[in-house]
Amino acid sequence: QDVTVTGTVKSADGETLPGVSILIKETKQASISDAKGAFSISAPDKGTLVFSYIGFKSQEIQINKNAGPISIILQSSDNALDEVVVTALGISRQKKSLGYAVQELKGQDLAEAKESNLVNALAGKIAGVRVTNSQGSMGSSRVVIRGETSIAGNNQPLFVVDGIPVDNSQLNSAGARDYANTISDINPEDIESMSVLKGPNAAALYGSRAAAGVILIKTKTGKSKKGLGIAINSNAVLETLLTLPVYQNAFGQGSEGKFSYVDGAGKGINDGVDESWGPKLDGRLIPQFYSKGVAVPFVAHPDNVRDFFQTGYSLNNGVSVADAGEKYDYRISYNNLKQVGIVPNSGQGKNSFVLNTSLKITPKLTLTANANYSKLNSDNLPGTGGSRSTSTMLQFTWFGRQVDINQLKDYLDENGKTFNWNNSYYSNPYWVAYENTVSQNRSRIIGSLALNYKIIDGLDFNFRSGTDYYNDRRKVRIAYGTNGTPFGSYTESAFTVSENNTDATLNFNKQLNDDFSLELLGGGNIRRQYIEQNDQSAPKLAIAGLYTLKNSRDPLISSNNLSRLKSYSVYASGQLGFRNYLFANITARNDWSSTLPAQNRSYFYPSFNGSFVATEAFDIKSEVLNYLKIRGGWSKVGKDADPYRLINTYAFGTPFSISSDLQKLYPNIVIANPQLSPGAIDLNPNLKPETTTSTELGVEAVFFNKRLRFDLSAYNTNSYNQILAADVSQSTGFSSKLLNAGKINNKGIEAQLGITPVKKAFTWDIDVNFAANRSKVIELDAEKLLTNYVVASNSAQVIATVGQPYGSLFGSAYLRDGNGNIVVNATGAPATNPTKQVLGKYTPDWIGGVYNTFTYKGISLGVLVDASFGGSIYNGTYATGTYTGVLASTLPGRAAEYGGISYYYPGNDKTKGTVRVNGTAPAGVTVYDDGIIFDGVTADGKRNEKVLPAQQYYKSFRNIDEANIFDASYVKLREVKLSYNLPSKWLRPLSLQGVSVSLVGRNLWIIHRNTVDIDPEVAFNTGNGQGLESLSNPSTRSYGINLNVKF
Amino acid sequence: CNKELDEVNINPNAPEIPQADYLLTGAIKNTSDTYWGTTNNLNSSLLFAQHWAKVQYTEEDRFIYSNSSFTALWSTGYAQSIAGLNKIVELADAQGNPNYKGVALVLRSWVFLLLTDAYGDVPYTQAGKIKQFVTPVYDKQKDVYYGILADLKSAQTALDPASGAPVISGDIMYGGNITHWKEFANSLRLRIALRIADKEPAKSQAVIDEIKAEGGNYINSNAFNAQLVYQVSPQQNPVAASFETRNDYRISKTIVDKLFALKDPRLPIYASKTENVTPQVYVGIPNGSTNSEASAIGLANSSKPGAYFLNPLAPAVILSYAELLFDRAEAAARGFTTENAADLYNQAIRASFDQYGISGNVVDDYINQAAVKYDPTNYKKSIGEQKWIALFGQGLEAWTEQRRLDYPQLTASVNTVLNGKIPVRFIYPGSEQSLNGQNYKNAVSSQGADLLTTKLWFDAF
Repeated sequence: QDVTVTGTVKSADGETLPGVSILIKETKQASISDAKGAFSISAPDKGTLVFSYIGFKSQEIQINKNAGPISIILQSSDNALDEVVVTALGISRQKKSLGYAVQELKGQDLAEAKESNLVNALAGKIAGVRVTNSQGSMGSSRVVIRGETSIAGNNQPLFVVDGIPVDNSQLNSAGARDYANTISDINPEDIESMSVLKGPNAAALYGSRAAAGVILIKTKTGKSKKGLGIAINSNAVLETLLTLPVYQNAFGQGSEGKFSYVDGAGKGINDGVDESWGPKLDGRLIPQFYSKGVAVPFVAHPDNVRDFFQTGYSLNNGVSVADAGEKYDYRISYNNLKQVGIVPNSGQGKNSFVLNTSLKITPKLTLTANANYSKLNSDNLPGTGGSRSTSTMLQFTWFGRQVDINQLKDYLDENGKTFNWNNSYYSNPYWVAYENTVSQNRSRIIGSLALNYKIIDGLDFNFRSGTDYYNDRRKVRIAYGTNGTPFGSYTESAFTVSENNTDATLNFNKQLNDDFSLELLGGGNIRRQYIEQNDQSAPKLAIAGLYTLKNSRDPLISSNNLSRLKSYSVYASGQLGFRNYLFANITARNDWSSTLPAQNRSYFYPSFNGSFVATEAFDIKSEVLNYLKIRGGWSKVGKDADPYRLINTYAFGTPFSISSDLQKLYPNIVIANPQLSPGAIDLNPNLKPETTTSTELGVEAVFFNKRLRFDLSAYNTNSYNQILAADVSQSTGFSSKLLNAGKINNKGIEAQLGITPVKKAFTWDIDVNFAANRSKVIELDAEKLLTNYVVASNSAQVIATVGQPYGSLFGSAYLRDGNGNIVVNATGAPATNPTKQVLGKYTPDWIGGVYNTFTYKGISLGVLVDASFGGSIYNGTYATGTYTGVLASTLPGRAAEYGGISYYYPGNDKTKGTVRVNGTAPAGVTVYDDGIIFDGVTADGKRNEKVLPAQQYYKSFRNIDEANIFDASYVKLREVKLSYNLPSKWLRPLSLQGVSVSLVGRNLWIIHRNTVDIDPEVAFNTGNGQGLESLSNPSTRSYGINLNVKF
Repeated sequence: CNKELDEVNINPNAPEIPQADYLLTGAIKNTSDTYWGTTNNLNSSLLFAQHWAKVQYTEEDRFIYSNSSFTALWSTGYAQSIAGLNKIVELADAQGNPNYKGVALVLRSWVFLLLTDAYGDVPYTQAGKIKQFVTPVYDKQKDVYYGILADLKSAQTALDPASGAPVISGDIMYGGNITHWKEFANSLRLRIALRIADKEPAKSQAVIDEIKAEGGNYINSNAFNAQLVYQVSPQQNPVAASFETRNDYRISKTIVDKLFALKDPRLPIYASKTENVTPQVYVGIPNGSTNSEASAIGLANSSKPGAYFLNPLAPAVILSYAELLFDRAEAAARGFTTENAADLYNQAIRASFDQYGISGNVVDDYINQAAVKYDPTNYKKSIGEQKWIALFGQGLEAWTEQRRLDYPQLTASVNTVLNGKIPVRFIYPGSEQSLNGQNYKNAVSSQGADLLTTKLWFDAF
């Protein structure tokens, strides 16, 4: 006989819980709690109700018809035992049922430790996730999960926001700026959780794009609110320099000890020289750039680079309103970010609006609509890299150590002319910062509409269509009169990016009997992607100060590029559970992609995985062993190509017009001749999809009343039939050839360890994560003719070379004799080996992090230290700064007091070469004290005894990449966060639901590094060409305060 | 849905089928840019030939190079020029237009000549055929010269100036005039015949006889020099483009001294006056100066190349009438022809003066100097020195001829790093080691170490 049971469901902290699923165990009928947490269900007397809700432990209760309304309090599931996680396609699953590793990060962590690029919040916290930080807070960040699986392609994971794949490109164009990757448009405050699906096993259902893993982002909704809730979040962060090159302050600008300024372009003594091999900075009187010919003291300005940079800051203010009723819920939020960079005149602003709504049209039909609008505005982003007209650090790595930066601040003289310490190569750095600007303006909307229809109990139909659409415009100004670009230039770049995904799925869930449960899903997807780029450039301005495309001396340079892609997919997944301890999962998907030729267009890929919870199977109820699960799986995913990679094309050049002389000779000649040249890549009409297979095994265990938690994964991933444009000898007629062959293996282990040494009023949690990945390039082309794939080049190269780990650093090395001694050439400088060598690899051997959390009452302190060991980096700052003599590392030997050896030139004739002073020098010769003998041997094996002047000595290393490659290992104090939740008894009289204040510092300290002058972690973009540092902007530390108020 | 997906993947950005005339314009422009541009000319061969010197960042003038220093000739030569010209040949065959084919073969031979003159053994027979050869083998230099001689001969056959023959367009050198292409082709054959004359004189003789038997003509006026005349920016001469943004080069002291010694009226054309007033007016920088030595002379107290060369509209000269006359003089001196060597030598000097608009008595006065007079007992010295002056600005050709004729005798500064030697070849691009390793190794073991100082086959003495 049925009785009607009524009641409410709340969480332990007293919030009512809507949407809790209530299952009658005997009949399998189900209901859910309403917006106020209330429920009413008709069930047999003495039956059992099961209450379950994501993020909470499920609870069973026996029906007693006489009990009256019941009050259920669900305990949050803060441990691995009953955790529910979001998996591929947004399916919530009990973590114990999964045969692969998945790790979640809660929104609170992201919002408090606010990063303008949310990718950075992952650094050091999730095993196997490697984040390389950008230069300063406005640039790009690269994230790689479980190593690089694609030799040439994108190794960034796919980002999915509320079921909609969103773009995370880094669209580069002119201007030498490190444009942020576009996932940074998402405001961390709006995120409820981030779920990291590591690699193909977890992400197989996403297919093509899953090979590098998936990061699922779930945004906050109004669902769990009881009535109106308002939250305000306010955040202020200061940003300062974390690291700068270490400069010497003993010698100023010039060459061979001489310097005197007339015009900075060669009229004075060495004043066109932009190096610091000049006189001692001992206060001697020398005319300088600001002294109008008057001799003034030649002294060091040790902080002349540091003083150029300013304290950056960001102000972040947001408000959200959420509400839920019986038939609806919504959350609306607005956030404003204002950021000012450390480089003068750099900054950006961002506004975002998010609206998440859900409406129950009928009891069976629910409509969900989400919209996220963001607008990024920057008048100028900080300049990077090695371009004379835009770079910041280029000029400072070629810098007179005596230059007083304050004398440069007013960059126009009284005649309105620019002036600078050097006029051969540079414009005043403030001129560069204020006049040569790059603006960026991006408007973006991510929107989706979803319908859920409950056909019958346990069977749902879902339809969802979502679009990510943005316009990104950049305006690059080089001012008239800029050194190297005397007429200036003006470029406009515009991108339009759109991706649309439409999915329809049927979901079926059923407890088949007491032993078996079944969940099935089947569906299809249509995906359209569209990327358009339009660039217009006035290469030389006609008049100064006007930035329009018509203001051009030369014909405009225009280009546009349109890329379209479409794919169809069908997919299915199923989970069969046995007695809640044995689970089998299967997925399958077939894609048809427009980018592949018709005969290879369709590709199928399955995955299998399973888990076994030993503690439940054997009913172990021990204080020591709380939980033990073994899991494993195999998966295969495919990947299509970029659009238009099948048929070779030709490139247009600017039409060439004929000289008037030739017109006279040949009256019928064509006067304007369009130019075509062969494309650089030999494309491939028979492309096949790339394939990645992966095997993963894992163990999860919880011990000692959950005081020790342990999760270990091991995986082996093979990627083959890789689509890569491999460089070939240009004597083939092409620079590269599109292959469909490469093979790369990644294997590794990941471990997470959680320890709670103290668990009383005071709690101490330690979360350790560790990951080691070993990659090996097995093959590049099927014929085995090619052994190297060039990923990126500057002086050294990043290559994938057969038999080596991915990302080898390849470049010139010292010439060595049979005993390993470095051989010197006739001048006594080290000789270069004509054969290039592998000199390291940028990928680390292992990465890890330790997060300590201390909580006492409402106070919590989190400290994150993370580390990366075993990679290498080409230190371009060191290579250049050694050549230019600005670095402290160039001091040894530069004078007697720095250990310099005395030498002279016979008869003072420098063409005769140096002679070391032994005893006394011959009368009448000038004796120099800046001699250095390179520690090497001559070609005939004798110890080198040739004295080199320090300037020549230090300059001899620039082309020897080996001298400039360093170990990139580091240990960093990544994050310190102190937060305080005000007690609710204080807040109640004020009608406040919660107030929290936190102090957050990020990237506070490089505890250990093996490289000099740079932060070994700098990323340069989100591509695969990492490990080649080149005059990057200094990295920064940030610290700030965060205030969160809930009404 | 296959049809729909096929349509999505039609490339909307670039043509898949090229047009021969557009390819021809592109090939001429790209090749000339790299031939006359920084890497192959200003920053290497012009320094080796001691036409120019560096006044700043003098490393290259001291022969400090890496194996990434000489990639431009290789990459542009093969992947742009030869690839584009091969496509023209393919289109010409398909369309039955032998004139496109002939022109493409002439230009392609010139590019192969530049490559082998600079590097020595280079891919030739397997070059530019990626579908068959992903790692092309290097042909011996002799075989490359023989191969391009044969190519030029077949170009000569293909080129048909008759009025009814198919016409070509996009020709920014000769405006589609096939007669001039035939003259250029023969002039190139003569240049190559002399290139191998120290090693294979019988072949040289045969080539020259062949041209004669065909009734072939050579370039016969400065008006028809093989050259690309540049235009205003952005189609300006690469030298002008360099000086717009940088200030690294000056005229070499070696050639300034020589021009002063010969009272050569070409000096004011080859060199600019110093910016500061100096007693000498024209001051060269010694090749191989250290940075300090060069900056001690100073940017304002040394001569940039002359305004003629800094002009955006200056031509990139590939083969001049003056060179052709020097070549004919040498062919006569070597006994390959019965022409009058001394007379041709004088004509060559006159043609060089004419090239720069110098005429009148100064020309006769110049030729009549003892130091200029043709010396039949040492034709290599007379022709070598005068040709070197006439080739000013044509770094690659001047350097190659200096290597072959061994005149003028140039010396390296003590600051240079090759034990007193001047480079006699380019180093192969470093990328060849990683991308075509086995063939690279074979070439090195056949030709000698991949060094700047390894003599090439043609360079007999």
